[in-house]
Amino acid sequence: MAVLSEVKKDWGKVRNFVNGEWVDSSTGKWLDVKNPATTDTIAKVPLSTKAEMDTAIDAAQEAWWAWRETPPVSRARVMFNLKQIMEREFENIARIITQEQGKTIDDARGETRRCIENIEVAAGITTLQMGYNLEDGAAANIDEEVIISPLGVFGVICPFNFPGMVPFWFWPYAVATGNTFIVKPSEQVPLTTQYMFKLIEEAGFPPGVVNLVNGREDAVSAMLDSNKVKGMSFVGSTPIAKWIYKRGGETGKRVQAQGGAKNSLVAMPDAKLDNTVNNMLSSFYGCAGQRCLAGSNLVAVGDIADPLLKKFIEASKKLKVGYGLDESSNMGPVISEAAKKKVLGYIDQGVKDGAKLLIDGRNIKVPGYEKGYFIGPTVFDNVTPDMKIAKEEIFGPVVSFLRMKQLDDAIEFIHRSPFGNAASIYTQNGRWARDFRYKVQCGNIGINVGIVAAMAYFPFAGYKNSFFGSLHGQGQDAVSFYTDRKVVITRWF
Amino acid sequence: MFQCEFPECTTFGTVIRFALELEKGAVAVYDEMSKDAKLTAGAETFRTLVAAHKKRGDLLEYTRREKLNEMIQEPIQDLDSRQYIPDLNRPQGADLKAASKFAAAIEQKSASFYGDMSKIAGNLLSEAARIMDRMAKENLANKAKLEAL
Repeated sequence: MAVLSEVKKDWGKVRNFVNGEWVDSSTGKWLDVKNPATTDTIAKVPLSTKAEMDTAIDAAQEAWWAWRETPPVSRARVMFNLKQIMEREFENIARIITQEQGKTIDDARGETRRCIENIEVAAGITTLQMGYNLEDGAAANIDEEVIISPLGVFGVICPFNFPGMVPFWFWPYAVATGNTFIVKPSEQVPLTTQYMFKLIEEAGFPPGVVNLVNGREDAVSAMLDSNKVKGMSFVGSTPIAKWIYKRGGETGKRVQAQGGAKNSLVAMPDAKLDNTVNNMLSSFYGCAGQRCLAGSNLVAVGDIADPLLKKFIEASKKLKVGYGLDESSNMGPVISEAAKKKVLGYIDQGVKDGAKLLIDGRNIKVPGYEKGYFIGPTVFDNVTPDMKIAKEEIFGPVVSFLRMKQLDDAIEFIHRSPFGNAASIYTQNGRWARDFRYKVQCGNIGINVGIVAAMAYFPFAGYKNSFFGSLHGQGQDAVSFYTDRKVVITRWF
Repeated sequence: MFQCEFPECTTFGTVIRFALELEKGAVAVYDEMSKDAKLTAGAETFRTLVAAHKKRGDLLEYTRREKLNEMIQEPIQDLDSRQYIPDLNRPQGADLKAASKFAAAIEQKSASFYGDMSKIAGNLLSEAARIMDRMAKENLANKAKLEAL
């Protein structure tokens, strides 16, 4: 089967989109953007300066009031335009995601659909943003009402693992509610966002309403330091999430910051073996384990351990690792040489700590892509809760297999983790499932589902070190994050 | 001359790609047959089948776009999809009877593919399973039409 064609082999210099114009960065600092499967340089991305971010913030601030005064129904219409354009460009978007991020084309198509779903939900802003009132609510002949109002300029700092979807968890809601916005994509995967912004431009948003600034620390600091920016969203690692939350708080911003994860998938003795294994495979190995919802620990409770492990190993060995644009690939590469090195370090650490390496993905060779940042499926048995590979976020296709006697042991193990992003249970027993759902302190709970990815109309939750803030991305939570309530009490003499 | 590239079916996406190739192949074969002077008695049927298979291709593309998400991207293992690859090399100079027999064999292969994939998809996506089940039935109806020519 031939590999699907790339939309473009070489994207040249990535540009910023500020105040409705495509602009070249004046920075002297540029990074190579690499295709992680081929390691070819496919673009150069600027590390934009503080001044460039400030210009974007000023443009967003200047555009805000007129956009705020644009009726919600008109704001929604631009969203409908964008949806139609994105449907037209669906396959191109997916292929660019795969080219720069490495995930399989199926995964990229799923991600593209998620982007569109967020636009669809945000297009319902006329009802989502509606306030409420109560006649005689304050006293006789004195009415009380709540108006839900936008706040001004917002921004997002994005990660590398979902170049399409993550910005769409945020900006459509911010903009639909009458705010203006700045997207700072990951410098490792700027191409999808650049392509999306061409579509955003075509959809007809007024200049300055949605802006794109590429970069790294300087751009992020400028956004954090500006008192014109009312709030920020972030998705990435826990240390940076914590830092953004703290820095943003110091300048009075609203902040929602999603951090890392260490997700456990718990198999109970009555789990349906074939379905469970198949479902777990996509959780552990999808996106090469680089999802914040990816399974990392496989916790077997009771006597399912041996048959489960046997089947899981057999199935893991059959997975086809390759370039994501080859549609028959089940798993692509990790994002970079540095990411690969980090994951390999964890595998070495697991061996050193005494875990038994049943499948070793360290030396995988993918024909035709020998230089690519590939790591094969890797499975450790005899992992104990105190080992690093059971506790720390690996962000790669590495499975730590743990054995527990009963469900409470598994729940206790999950509770000891500093992370609280996701956890799943595989069972046919409603009581076990209910206990798990009730007791586990994670924001996203799966019952016979290994990737607990909230749809656009639900919040993408997270507890403990996996999330800093109160209101999450997507759906009604996002609408609340980007707006404030204004109470009005009215009396006519 | 047309070419189909049938992938190894390891994911739901490759099942749909395989199906799209089947539809593309059927469209090309029927299009040629509808223009073949020796087969004028069947031209109308072939033209109808061209339109029908094009429509099925659109439906499959829609299914791929709308029905895939990361919650159900489970791998498909141990499926030898080569058994479903039809012979798309039309015998040149064949009369209507021979050409119809050739086309009916394509419909039969296609019916087997969709019938089996419907069972696999049933575990993942009930709507996709329903679409594939319906396609298998359509293939068998097409086969009957062709055999009646």
